[in-house]
Amino acid sequence: MFELSGIDVRYGAAQVLWDLSLTVAPGEVVAVMGPNGSGKSTVLKVAMGLKRPSGGRVMFDGADLTQAPATARVGAGMSIVLERRRLFPRMSVRENIEIGGFVLPRAEIRRQMDWVLSLFPELRPHMDATAGRLSGGQQQMAAIARGLMAKPRLLLMDEPLLGLSPALQQRVFALMREINDRGVAILFNEQNAKLSFGLSHRGYLLESGRVVLTGSGTQMLDHPEIRRVYLGEAAA
Amino acid sequence: MTGAILIETLLNGLITGAIYALIGSGIALIYGTTRVLNFAHGEAMMLAAYAALILSTTAGLPLWLAALGAILLVMAGGVVMQRAVIAPILAREDWSFRIIAATIGLSIFLQSAAQLIWGEGFSALPYFFDGVLVLGPVRMPWQRIAILIVALVALGLSALLLYRTRFGQMIRATAQDAEAAEAFGIPAARVHTMVFALSAGLAAVGAIMLAPLLSVNPWMGVPYILKAFAVVILGGLGSFGGAILAGFLLGIIESFGVTLTSSEWRDVISFGLLIAVIWVRPYGLFSTREG
Repeated sequence: MFELSGIDVRYGAAQVLWDLSLTVAPGEVVAVMGPNGSGKSTVLKVAMGLKRPSGGRVMFDGADLTQAPATARVGAGMSIVLERRRLFPRMSVRENIEIGGFVLPRAEIRRQMDWVLSLFPELRPHMDATAGRLSGGQQQMAAIARGLMAKPRLLLMDEPLLGLSPALQQRVFALMREINDRGVAILFNEQNAKLSFGLSHRGYLLESGRVVLTGSGTQMLDHPEIRRVYLGEAAA
Repeated sequence: MTGAILIETLLNGLITGAIYALIGSGIALIYGTTRVLNFAHGEAMMLAAYAALILSTTAGLPLWLAALGAILLVMAGGVVMQRAVIAPILAREDWSFRIIAATIGLSIFLQSAAQLIWGEGFSALPYFFDGVLVLGPVRMPWQRIAILIVALVALGLSALLLYRTRFGQMIRATAQDAEAAEAFGIPAARVHTMVFALSAGLAAVGAIMLAPLLSVNPWMGVPYILKAFAVVILGGLGSFGGAILAGFLLGIIESFGVTLTSSEWRDVISFGLLIAVIWVRPYGLFSTREG
């Protein structure tokens, strides 16, 4: 369904991703885990067309989207929940969510909005409020709602748990499961190994812009290196 | 100050303010959406006035048709300017200073080109409306009243476009976070281009309504661009509504200042107010936050 192969990315003279490859199959939840500065967010930016790779290919449903702008990728069935929500703070919650469905015909936007709001009933009383006035948790709900508006078959989520309380993290996790149960594949990144691989079917561990480990969620959680470095367990 | 002078002064302030609002709101729109300070905005005024003059006197078009043609031509010029000069610089990293240098350079280039093509002579566009409005002791030429009415219509239509249409939604989203807007399929680069066209159109409306009262010359945009920048700062950098309110406010303050003192004090009053506002409210009179 989705494939990054041999991706290199540079910011000026600095290379941040090296020969990175990953795949997402239909209906899969895939986690990209790694420490700060490992290149996790860049992976999602490349996937969404917000950063052009200097080498490699981006494929979606058999089409080569490497040079395609984000607009074309949204039309093809991809969408994103951006890091730190990045709602449009001076626009209403309704407008923010509508913009998520920008590529849809107007009548369909209304239908999709009803479906999305059935997932996020807590947003209904705040639809006319400016997004900047919502709490952090409500903003994350609105950001996920916006990401779902374009009817994606692949939803990219850039650190969806960042800055949320443990209770809200559980709520977002439950939502991710529910979204996935409805047939949407998810590629997300996260710093917390337990959370990342606990939810995902498969995962990738990134260090300094390179994939250093990959496997099923359970395999990743059981891997001695992950247990030692990222879960803080003493070596056996 | 008698009642008639009070009303005339207020009307004059509103009329001057309408021009400041038209020019300033265009600069604010461009800055708010692209973070570009466009120093060549005054030359959009100058080109619009020349285009209307040539279309009406040389090509012989009716004045209103010449005005409409000039506005469309200048909007197309805004598109060319953004595509040919601004966009290539924005595509590079660290463009903030380069873009200022480029727009100042473009401003000088256009003034010099106009001087070479049309000379240093001063011309005037014919009046759109003759006669004087007489309301008791208050007398005001219809041409000046028309400036206020046309400006209010143009600004009102622009506000409707911004806040009631899908295109306006695209502009506001791009202004707040261009990358996020792009992530949802909004073509931010095309929005930037359209914003330049819209802003050039607003400047053209102001210039064409003003041209019968002023001389059309290569430097006619210069005093207005300085005032427009003052308006943009007073209104809150990048705020479309703030620039409109600040434009009218500055016009009214100038008008009363000049009535109470003399016309030599006009710029002292305007820029004195600007400095005072920068001291007291650096984020502008109509903005609630800094930056």
